[in-house]
Amino acid sequence: MSSLEIRDVRKSYGAAHILKGINIGINSGDFLVLVGPSGCGKSTLLNMIAGLDTITSGELLIDGKVMNDVHPSQRDIAMVFQSYALYPNMSVEKNISFGLEMRKMPKAEIDKRVADVSQMLQIQPLLKRKPSQLSGGQRQRVAMGRALVREPKIFLFDEPLSNLDAKLRVDMRTEIKKLHQRLGSTIVYVTHDQIEAMTLATKIAIMKAGVLQQLGSPDEVYNAPANMFVASFMGSPSMNLIPSKLVMQDGKLTASVKLKSGQELFLPLAENAAYNAWQGKEVILGLRPEAITDPGSAEATSKLLHQADVLIDVVEPTGADIYARMELNGQDTVGRMRANCGAIAKQNAPVTFNMQQAVLFDPKTEERIS
Amino acid sequence: MSTTTVRSGGDWLRQFLPRLVLAPSFAITLVFVYGFIIYTGYISVSKSKMLPNLDFVGLDNYRKLWKTLNWQVALDNLAIFGILYIVICGALGLFLAILLDQKIRGEGFLRPIYLYPMALSFVVTGTAWKWFLNPGLGLEKTMHDWGWASFKFDWLINPDMAIYTVVIAGVWQSSGFVMAMFLAGLRGVDEEQLKAAQLDGASTFQTYWRIIIPQLRAVFLSAFVVLAHMAIKAYDLVVALTGGGPGNATEVPATFMYSYTFTRNQMGVGAASAMIMLMTIAAIIVPYLYAETREARHE
Repeated sequence: MSSLEIRDVRKSYGAAHILKGINIGINSGDFLVLVGPSGCGKSTLLNMIAGLDTITSGELLIDGKVMNDVHPSQRDIAMVFQSYALYPNMSVEKNISFGLEMRKMPKAEIDKRVADVSQMLQIQPLLKRKPSQLSGGQRQRVAMGRALVREPKIFLFDEPLSNLDAKLRVDMRTEIKKLHQRLGSTIVYVTHDQIEAMTLATKIAIMKAGVLQQLGSPDEVYNAPANMFVASFMGSPSMNLIPSKLVMQDGKLTASVKLKSGQELFLPLAENAAYNAWQGKEVILGLRPEAITDPGSAEATSKLLHQADVLIDVVEPTGADIYARMELNGQDTVGRMRANCGAIAKQNAPVTFNMQQAVLFDPKTEERIS
Repeated sequence: MSTTTVRSGGDWLRQFLPRLVLAPSFAITLVFVYGFIIYTGYISVSKSKMLPNLDFVGLDNYRKLWKTLNWQVALDNLAIFGILYIVICGALGLFLAILLDQKIRGEGFLRPIYLYPMALSFVVTGTAWKWFLNPGLGLEKTMHDWGWASFKFDWLINPDMAIYTVVIAGVWQSSGFVMAMFLAGLRGVDEEQLKAAQLDGASTFQTYWRIIIPQLRAVFLSAFVVLAHMAIKAYDLVVALTGGGPGNATEVPATFMYSYTFTRNQMGVGAASAMIMLMTIAAIIVPYLYAETREARHE
């Protein structure tokens, strides 16, 4: 078990800067997920941790030791690749034991470890098969077995589930999570799927265009996103970002929102000293869909509920919930309601805003006001 | 709706156009390749000498062929040439491909250099190497002119060694092509596997030996088939380089077939040797084609 520290790491190819000074530190046993849209540099960063890509500047430390110029095989890491990268000419057993064999481990020890790992992953019946005879999910297990058998300090996962179909992906996701809980290993995991990031991580690093946007627990990045990019990237449907103005109403600071009918709502805001400076100014109001709901589903414990009748434009049923679309300050906004709440398209419905969950952003810098 | 209205004219044309277009080449191939194979087959069991003679003599020509000393020499030479040509071309081609695969600068410049010999015909290769290896003209004379008076390289005119000059020229011509095949195979190996091997702690040699080369089985097979049939059919290279000589020291089945059929008035024996060559090549190619088509149906 081990800690990983990334200090001001940069990567450039000539004038093209891929990573612009990344700082991340995680502790032993952490599950760090690097998430971001394609081209944000997350895979490059993972390859640099693995030693498969050189570091232009900055430092990479594992257990307090600088690893910049250490060969990948000497870093005590194991990696699960997107394509699984199983050796097609070797049996499953050979695939798993190859790394140990290369490290000149005694045969008896190798056999024992392979047996343990194949038991844990339930792949004993597959040991004699070739990778081409396995299904996608089985290959995924073997690829994980190859990493597990090494018992490394850090596991690296490079979009390991992206080649699986939707149902299998959910199953394997749970399995990876169980594995992490059981072994308590340190994991760095790259994905572009924010749901994977939320479900697996103990720490999420959201990246965009080579810049780390926010590093925090799933709860932090979901409820207190550092900026508008993080707010819209995490969560599905994504957070509503409504242009609004802060005004004083009955001695309290509120966010004003105009409905399609012309009626103006004054949504109460939580006490926050930082908001005062923004009185009378334009801000971006961030509200998660679940904070715009029918009165019956609203969080009863919240002290900042505000109810109003709002014209519903479109109703999108998803089974358990419906997504009700409405216009607030001219911005298409999604609310999440109970399926049987009675909201009908083109009609007014009572809507409760849970302003306890609201966040405000500076429209110029796009940073959260706090 | 519209399909029913044009069925009579348009549909007929659509259905038969591919056959119509392919028919001439099909007919030509049928007559001039397969037809003449059958004709040669019949000549080989006929009494033909200088001109075709359709009197049936059974396997007489084959018996005669296997008793001919020249044929034995040709087979021995084919064995030496074929084995060395295939093995050296394969090994050298693989070696060059691995070197070129190291993501070196100037690969785009180097690759065609190795490939260009393949663009030459064997006649040109043979002639060029004849001059180069000629003791009074090429390498040996140059070394003598430079002052290395004891230098000797007379394989071309040495009956024991002449067949090896054919190997040298053949390898020079074909190894670049084999290299290109192997290079394509190497490029087809998933890059993530190489990364995985690196993390597994495999050295470059182990990565190639344990992971990459075993994946090139199909390329080895293709290279073998291509080289094997080129070796058996080798004619122009030998004619241009040594003319079968000195004496009959570099006689190969193809030169034997030509001389017996067209210059020694033994058309029956020549046809028999041609049939033997056909059988040998078929023995190599038919299982290969069978395996290929079976694989295709498998997927």
